[in-house]
Order: sequence, then C-alpha cells, then structure tokens
Amino acid sequence: MNNYFVRRILQIIPVLFIISFIVFTLVFVAGDPVSLMLPDDAPPEAREELRETMGLNEPFVVQYITYMGNMLQGDFGESYRFNQPALDIVLDRLPATMELAIFAIVIATAVAIPLGIWSATKQNTSLDLIATGAAVIGKAMPNFWLGIMLILLFSVTLGMFPVSGRGTAMHVILPAVTLATGIAAEMTRLIRSSMLDSLSQDYVRTARSKGLKDRIVVYKHAFRNSLIPVVTITFLQTSTLVGGTLITETVFAWPGLGQLLIQAVNTRDMAIVQASVFIIAILVILMNLIADILYRFLDPRIKYN
Amino acid sequence: MKKKRIYFFLMVMTLVLILAACGSTDDAGDSGTEESGAEEGEGTAGEGTAEGNNNVLTIALGTDMVSFDVHNHTNTSTEAVHINMFNYLVKRDPESGEYVSDLAESFEAIDDTTWEFKLKEGVKFHNGEALDSEDVKYSLERPANDDTTLEHINYEVIEKIEVIDDLTFQIHTATPDPALLNRIARMGSAILPSQYIEENGFDHFLSEPVGTGPFQFNEWVKDDRIVLDVYEDYFEGVNEEWEQVVFRVIPENSTRVSELLTGGVDLAVNMPPSEWDRIENNEGTHMAQETSNRTMMLFVRHTEGWPTADKKVREALDLAIDNNAISENLLSGRAVPTITRVAPGNFGFNEELYDTYNYDLERARELLEEAGYGDGLDITLHSPRGRYLQDAEIAEMVAGMWSQIGVNATVEFMEWSSFVDMRNAGENKDVYLLALGNSMFDAANALDWYDYERFEGQIDYQNEEFESLVEAAEQNMDLEEREQQYIEAQEILAEDVAHPVLHQESINIGVSDFVNYTPTIDEMIYVETITKSE
Repeated sequence: MNNYFVRRILQIIPVLFIISFIVFTLVFVAGDPVSLMLPDDAPPEAREELRETMGLNEPFVVQYITYMGNMLQGDFGESYRFNQPALDIVLDRLPATMELAIFAIVIATAVAIPLGIWSATKQNTSLDLIATGAAVIGKAMPNFWLGIMLILLFSVTLGMFPVSGRGTAMHVILPAVTLATGIAAEMTRLIRSSMLDSLSQDYVRTARSKGLKDRIVVYKHAFRNSLIPVVTITFLQTSTLVGGTLITETVFAWPGLGQLLIQAVNTRDMAIVQASVFIIAILVILMNLIADILYRFLDPRIKYN
Repeated sequence: MKKKRIYFFLMVMTLVLILAACGSTDDAGDSGTEESGAEEGEGTAGEGTAEGNNNVLTIALGTDMVSFDVHNHTNTSTEAVHINMFNYLVKRDPESGEYVSDLAESFEAIDDTTWEFKLKEGVKFHNGEALDSEDVKYSLERPANDDTTLEHINYEVIEKIEVIDDLTFQIHTATPDPALLNRIARMGSAILPSQYIEENGFDHFLSEPVGTGPFQFNEWVKDDRIVLDVYEDYFEGVNEEWEQVVFRVIPENSTRVSELLTGGVDLAVNMPPSEWDRIENNEGTHMAQETSNRTMMLFVRHTEGWPTADKKVREALDLAIDNNAISENLLSGRAVPTITRVAPGNFGFNEELYDTYNYDLERARELLEEAGYGDGLDITLHSPRGRYLQDAEIAEMVAGMWSQIGVNATVEFMEWSSFVDMRNAGENKDVYLLALGNSMFDAANALDWYDYERFEGQIDYQNEEFESLVEAAEQNMDLEEREQQYIEAQEILAEDVAHPVLHQESINIGVSDFVNYTPTIDEMIYVETITKSE
C-alpha cells in the first residue's frame, strides 16, 4: 500500500508540469497583457517599451523556460496588477475559499444525506418524486442566477442576511447555500441510488427477516454500506467546488481564490493565473488522494498493490 | 472496528467544522466597524450607515484598486481612492476648471520651460514627516525618469526638479509645456514622503503607504476592501464628517445595487442603466449623475481604397445616426450628443460643437448615391462588449440606423485585448467603436487621436491645416491663442467628419439618501465633499 501512495504522489509531478504547460500556452495564445495595462491613448512606443521590459517580445520557448526555471524555485513571478509576488497573493486568498467550500460541503451533506435516504426508502411515492425533482432543479440552476435570486429574496426583501462580502458567520450562509445547491443535488441522487442498491441486498432482507426495526435496518445496515461512494464523491467534488467558487465568489464579492482568478484572467495577469491554477491543481490532486485513502479505510476489502 | 472508522470520519468532519467556525469568528473581529452598515441594513433601504456607525462611510467599487504605487498605474478607479490619501501640488477646481493650489501655496511660470512653486508651510505626512521640496523632487522625477512606470509617458517632458530651499523648487521641462499644470494635477503626480521611502524601501511604502491627504491608510484586503481612517493633522483641517472610509470591492453589478438598496453601502459606482429607475424609485436611495470626460465615437478608416476614405460616405454614416435616440433609448437620456471629442471643462473646448448632432436621413441617402453606393454598401463595425456603458447595444443600434440608408453593417464584437491588438496591427476594417477619456483635461490629448503619424496604417486621417494648428498649439505658451487654435482644429475635424462622434457618457452613482454627494467630471471620489444629510 505504501508503494501505491508513493507512486501516486510521484505521479503528481508530471501532472503539474503538464498543467503548467497547458495554462502557460493558453495564456500566451490568449493575447497581450500590455493592451490591458496601458490606457486607450497610450502611444504604440509606450506599448512596445513595456512589452520589452516585461520580456514579452521573447519567443514562446524562451518565455516558457524562464517561467519554468523560476517556478521550480517557487517563484511564480510578480502580479503586474498588484506589483507583488503572485504566490503570496494566491495563498492569501486560499483561506476565504476554503471557508466557503467547507461550509458548502457541510450544508450539502446535511441536506443530501437525509433527503437521499428518505427518497430511497419511500421510492416511487410522491415524496420521492418531489425529492428527485428538487435534485434535478438544484443541479440545473446556474450558480450566478441562484446567487442573485437568494440575494434578492433573503437580503433585499427579507433583510435576513448581508448582501455580500466576508466577515461574520451570517456572510457565509448565502454564498455557501448557492455553492452547496448543485453539490447537494448530485449527492442526493447518488445516495438515493446507492441506498436503493443496498436495500435490495440479501443482508438487508436477512436483517428484516430477523425482525429488526426498520430504522436499524435502514441506518445501521443499508446506509453504512451506501456511505462508501458518498464519501468518495464528496471529496471528488473539489473540482466542481472550485468551478462553483469562480461564479459564487464574484456574485457575493467574496474575496477568495475564485474571484482573484476571474479578475486575473480578465486582466491577463498571467502570474496570478499560473499560480492559482497550480494551487488549485495541487488541491484537487490532494483531495483525490484523500478520497483514495478514505475509500480503503471505509471498505477494508479494497487493497492497493 | 467498523464503529471506530465511523467515529474517525465523524471526528475529521467535526474538526473541519470547528476550523471553519474559527476562521469565521476571526474575520468577524477583523472586519470591525465596516460591517455595521451591512448588518444593520436589514432590508430597510436608505437607513444605511446611519443605523450602524454614523461616522463610517462605505463606498462600493466595481473593481479593486491596483496598487499604492501612484506612478505606476493608469486606472481611474484606483486614483479615485488615492485622491483621499495623497495630494497633488495643484488641483483642478471642478466648478471653474481652473488649477488652484493644493500642496503648493503659489506657482508661476518663470520662462517657457521653467515653473517655480512654493509649498505650503506646516504640511505633514501621515507619519509625521514634514513635507519639503525634496519630496516633490523624488515624487515627480520618478515617473519622469523611470521608463518602467506606467505614467512615464505623461511625465517624460519634465527634465528635472531643482530644489531652491525647503519649500521652494522649480520644475524644468525639456520643451515649453503649456499643459504642465494639467499634467501635475492628475494620476502619477501624488507627492510621496521621500525620507520614509528612503529609510524603509518602496516595498514597505506599498504595504504601509503614507501620504498627506485627509485620510490615512488602515488596511487593504485585496478584492475585498480598503479601509482609510481620518487624519487628525490634515493641513486643511481634520474631516469632521467621517472617522473612517471603507471602499468595498463588489464586481457584480446586481450585488452592488442590492447592497445600496439594503443600506449596506452609502455610495455605489457604475450603476447600469437598467437599474437607474429601481434606485430612484426605492425609498432611501437616489441616482447621482454627471457627464463624464469620456466621449464615445466611431473611428473610421481613411486609408485609400476603403469606402470610408470618401468624405461623402463618412458624412452619410454620420447623418444616418440619430444620437438623441441612442441617448434616450439606451442611456435613459443621460448621454449628451456631441460633434467634438473635447468635452466641456477641457482646455480648448469648442462650445458650438457640443450638445448637438447632425441627423438627416434624406441627405445621407443622397450623399451615398453621389459616392457611388446607391445600390448599398457593406461595411464592418468592430466593437468591444462590456467595456463602455452599453457599448454592444449602441453598436447594434448604429448598425440598425445605417441599414435605413442602405448601409449593411456587420457588427463584430471583440474581447478587449484582441480589439486593441487588431487596432495596433492595423487590421481594423471600416469602422470601430471606442469611448475615450482624458485625465489631462487638455485638447492636446484629445486631438492626438487624429494625428496622422500616430495612426498611420490604421486610420490614415490627414489634414495639413489641422496638423499645423495642433503642432503650433502644442508648445504655445500664449494660452488664449492656443485655445483658439484648438477650437479651430475641432472645426476642421467636424467639417471633414474625420470620425463621427456619438456622445459624452455619464457617470452613474447610486447614493443613499443618508449622504449628500455630487459626482465630478474627473470620476474621482472626493470623500471631503461627501456630507451627511440633515
């Protein structure tokens, strides 16, 4: 098993190289940051001068080698927008995004587990229909629309929560609910089908035939066995979460990594884009690794060779 | 065994929850008074900060400021924050448009290339350091000499600053510069504490900036908020109205509007036209609007071989646009139609070409026929999307208006940096749409966009009479004559229909009834001018 994990960790290195190459290429192809740095009325000489200073006139390969050389020393370059090392800025924002993501996962889990079990045990009743219908709607609603609607209802009309920003616990609720909705929807459907699968197993039939209470059969026997895919999926949601934070953080003016990345892309702040994607990639890989470890932990039948 | 595993899992989740909760509590403590407005608003629009802390002013910006490096940015919204922490030597009086004293007590031109200034006595930086001529020398020579600073291009005309004594100094320019006062009363001219920077380094200054302005730095949480505290020893007297100013960064338009409506912020910039009525009709908020120094226009190609090289075609395109209809339908009547790029309040403004437009469909059709396009004309109109107020909608509407005279315009929307690249590479086609500002408030900057050499291969507009007038005006120290030269130059441009000009945009700020605020044409937010309403 140890060998397996060492191998998995070593695999991270080429993945990160490939990711950094793809992002570098995309940013390079996307256009020239100088156009966005200077005002409309800047003369062409000023543009040329700045391009030269920033080393943007060098060929692609030279720029990439310079970039990789610096990156290997932990230097992602300086954000031209903030005139500060990109990695410091990205790491500064990480806690805000983590806070939002953790709250979202907790909300999603708290909603999805009872809803999934409930709709599985009441399969094909109108309650089940409502739960699965709600899950479809939840998954189908775009984050930005849901976020704006929640603001209009709970902040503007009812005045229950602050509109935007990060600060008190009240600030995190609306963005976390926005982010959690899609994930909760997916988890509900997964728990439902996983529960249905467990409930039709022989051991459940045996448990029932022993005359065990329905509650014990459902929660102790069936649910515990349905938990394995749920835990895995929860951790694998990291990339969905990151995608969600890009939109949610912008709508709620949440000062996290998502908002930073969106603005960096808009302003061609390449150093920030590179550093953000790199950190996000590490996070996603780590979460997948943790999912693997947990998977084995929850199901001793799984062995890694 | 199984139980243990479940407990382990539950423990991890609990730990995660506790960590998250701790993070949240800490932040609540950090954010301090700023949150009071947001929390207390409770949907009662307009009560705003009045309900929270009476002395904290909260302003919602659409984008974060970029840096405290005052010489190394070209961003209006950044300067709108800086202006409250730093001072220039002179400032533009928004009412009269005259340049009046700020840090400088007096100033006069000694000869064509030398200006002498005397600083006010007793001005202190936020760290207690006294302002002297060395600070000015450091602050103005940096953008003038350092070609890596983004403002260098606007300051390179400054040759050197000669210190005469502690409070007196001279600015020497390489060539006569009649617009020197305009130049040093805008972004890039803030006076910094040279001693503080020398002792601690520029990076330290960037994280702990120090200026002479009415407010001093408290904290900057990037993409979230900038907090400034009132400065007790401000040389023009402490601001009695506000103890603290919080600039919050809220990129999403609808969220910014919601914050205003719920009283979370007192001022919200860049309100989209679709929200103006909602803000006006909401109890407790209103719109504060003012014409900006940004003019939207259509740049046409004069290069030989292009249809728009023919004056008749350009005139037909101009006559077919109902500028008033654009303003009324897309901008709630807040845009001012104009024929010149130079707006009121700018040196060299030509009043006769402002607040008017040419519209005559019949004549437009005739001109097109005369130019040989009676059977129709196909052209391409390039436009950015989302960069300027209603830019894409305006481009569509213009194309629709042109179709009435038989001009079939294909509108191509482009992402901004590709749009700029296209222009720089001279790959632009018949027409492109731009809205240009002018922080210098001088016709020289506005009319530089008609310069042949600068846009050779991209625009190719050339008129010798225009060029000789502008050239003569550029270094003309006789201001009356210079003004006349620019006025005449604009008449030539209008006569040539060099580029059809659409309108002057408006500044659109949502304001809580709790405060009094009047926007200024330069788009700066002078907190000193904002007061609590009775």
